[in-house]
Amino acid sequence: MIFLAIRYLLERRRQTILTLLGVFFGTMAYVTVSGFFMGFQGFLVQQLVNNSAQIHIQARQDYLSDHQLDEAFFGKKNQHIFWQPSPSGVQGYLEVQNPQSWYTRLRADPRVEAFSPLMTAPALFTLSKLSVSANLIGCDPKEQAKVTSIAEYMVEGRFTDIAAGGNRLILGDELMKRLGAAIDQTILVSVGTNSPVPFKIVGRFYIGNRGGDLQAYGAINDIQRINRTPNRVNEIAVRLKDYTLAAQMASSWSMIAPERTESWDQQNANIFSVFKIQNALRFSMIATILVVAGFGIYNVLNMTVNQKRQDIAILRALGYDTFDIVTLFFSQGLLLGIVGAFFGLIGGYFLCRYLQTLPFSSPMVKGGGHLQISIDAAIYIQATAIALFSASIASILPAHAAGKLTPIDIIRQGG
Amino acid sequence: MNTVGIRAKNIGKTISDPPTRILSEITLEINNGEFVALTGKSGAGKSTLLYILSSLDDPSEGSVEIGGQNITAMTSDELYRFRNQNMGFVFQFHYLIAELTSLENVLMPAMKFHEEKKLLSRAEMLLEQFGLKDRKHRHPRQLSGGEQQRLAIARSLIMKPKYLFADEPTGSLDTTNAETVMNILEDCSRKDGMTVVMVTHDTDFANRAQRQIHLADGKLIP
Repeated sequence: MIFLAIRYLLERRRQTILTLLGVFFGTMAYVTVSGFFMGFQGFLVQQLVNNSAQIHIQARQDYLSDHQLDEAFFGKKNQHIFWQPSPSGVQGYLEVQNPQSWYTRLRADPRVEAFSPLMTAPALFTLSKLSVSANLIGCDPKEQAKVTSIAEYMVEGRFTDIAAGGNRLILGDELMKRLGAAIDQTILVSVGTNSPVPFKIVGRFYIGNRGGDLQAYGAINDIQRINRTPNRVNEIAVRLKDYTLAAQMASSWSMIAPERTESWDQQNANIFSVFKIQNALRFSMIATILVVAGFGIYNVLNMTVNQKRQDIAILRALGYDTFDIVTLFFSQGLLLGIVGAFFGLIGGYFLCRYLQTLPFSSPMVKGGGHLQISIDAAIYIQATAIALFSASIASILPAHAAGKLTPIDIIRQGG
Repeated sequence: MNTVGIRAKNIGKTISDPPTRILSEITLEINNGEFVALTGKSGAGKSTLLYILSSLDDPSEGSVEIGGQNITAMTSDELYRFRNQNMGFVFQFHYLIAELTSLENVLMPAMKFHEEKKLLSRAEMLLEQFGLKDRKHRHPRQLSGGEQQRLAIARSLIMKPKYLFADEPTGSLDTTNAETVMNILEDCSRKDGMTVVMVTHDTDFANRAQRQIHLADGKLIP
C-alpha cells in the first residue's frame, strides 16, 4: 500500500508540495525558534552558573513572625501573644555559626569543586565629596576565582592584586563611574557605624549588569578587620562539579546546619519563571503552525479519499481489507509528515548554523561573540515528534472514513 | 459429471432507505465451468444478485456457498482472502487505478499477498494475450476504452480465479470491443474452465452464455 500511497502523492505534485511546505516551515520554525530560545536560556544559565556561586551558604536571618516570641514569654504553655502592631525585625545570626565544620564538610564532599569563605557587608564608599553605597565583599581571591568567573571580567589590574591585603580594593565599573574614581586612587570605606578606612583602588571589573558592577572586592582579612568581625564569615560560596545537583545539595545541607543554603537556580527563580513563559509561548506558537499544516494534510487527504472512491471500491473487490485502505491513506499523511519534517529539520539546522555566525555583542561575552543558538538533539527529536503527531492526527480521520467505505456503495453510486 | 460451483439458498435482499424489497427467495445453482447470463429489465435485481453471489454485498436472508464454502458465514478477513484467491471481477466501468501502469494494474491483486514477482510472467502473458503487450508501461488514461476494459479483464484473471463475475462488461464499449470482451469471457469458461456469471441487457450476448437466468421484480423467472 505504501507503493500506491507514494504514487498518489507523486501524481498530485502541486498539492503534495504545498502540504509538504506547511510541514517543512512548521518544523523549521520549531527548530529555529527553539534553538534561539534554548540557546539564549542556556547562555543565561551558563552566565548564572559561572558568574556566581552555585550554592550560597549564608548566615540565617529570618523576619520575626507574630508567635515567634511566644515561648520566650510563656515557655511551653502553648499560650500566645497577640501583638498590636506585629513585631518587626530579624532574628538569627550575622555570621556563619561554625565555619570550620562547613570547611571540613565541603573539603570531604567529592561533588564540591571549590569553595570560598566570604565576609560581605554594605558599605559607604567616599571619594572627595562623593559617597556611594555598595556591597563590599571580602574574599580570598584565589579561592573566589575558582568559584566564580569574576577574574575573567577584570578590565584593569588582576583579581589577585588584593591577595596581599593592605587595604586594597577592586571596584566594579559602575561603582568606579559613580565615584568618578580611577586606578591607584584612595577612597574611604565605612562599614556600619565604624570610622571610614582608606583603601587603594588596584583594579576594575566589568560584568555587564549594573547590580554586579556596583560591588567591590577586597581581601577577606581587611574586610573582617574594618567590620570588626575578625575570623568571621557570613557566607560561603560553593562551586560544584555538576551544577545541576545544586538545588538537591542545598536542600540536603539546609537540614543539617542552621545556615540558609540556596542554590543558584533557587536564587534566580524569577528568571526560570520567565523561561517557562518563553517555553509556553514557543510551544503555542509552533503548535499553531503545525495545526495549520495538519489542516493542510487533512484537507488534501479528505479530497483524495473523495477522488479515489473508485480505487477504494476496486481494491476492496480485489481482496484488500479495511486495514489496507486505512494504511493507504494514513501512510500518505504520515509520508507528508516524515518528508516535510525531514527537510524542515535540515532547513532548521542550517538556519541555526547561519544564525550562529551573526555577531552578538554582550559585555558578558569576552572579546565579542555570536548569537547563541542551541542545536540540542532534543529540539530535533521534539520537532520530529510534533510533526509526525500532527500529521498522524490529521490523517487518521480521512483514512478511517476511507476504511469504512464499502465497494458496493461506491459501485452503486457510480463511483 | 458437473459439480455445483455456486449455490444460493433463499436469497432475499431488502434495503431500508427507502424500504424496498429487491430480491426474494432466490435459490439457484451454477455449475463449475458454466457460463451463465443474468438477464432481466432494469431494476429486476440482476446486479444485486451478482454482488451477493460474489460476496460484494450481503443478503438480508439466505446463504451463498461457493466451492462448498458458505461465504455468508465467513469473517471479513477470510472473505477478503477468499475473494482475492478465487474471484475475478469485471464491471461496466473499468476501475483501473490511474496512477499505475497497465502492468501494475494487472498485478494489483497479486500485491495484496506479495505475489507480484511470482505472477509477473503471467501478467505479461495476459497483456500479450489481450493485445496490450506494447501498452504495459502506459497509464490507463493513455489507453482506448476497449483497451481499458481488456486491461480490467486481465487484472481480474491474474490470480487464476475459479469464478469470474462480470457486471455489464460490454455496457460502455462499441460493437467491436464488446465482441472482443465477449470472446475473452467465453474463452475463460470454455478453455480455462472458469465459472462465469455475467449480468447483461444485451440479448445477443446473453444468448452466447450456456444458460440464462431471468429475473423480474427480484424473483427468478422459471
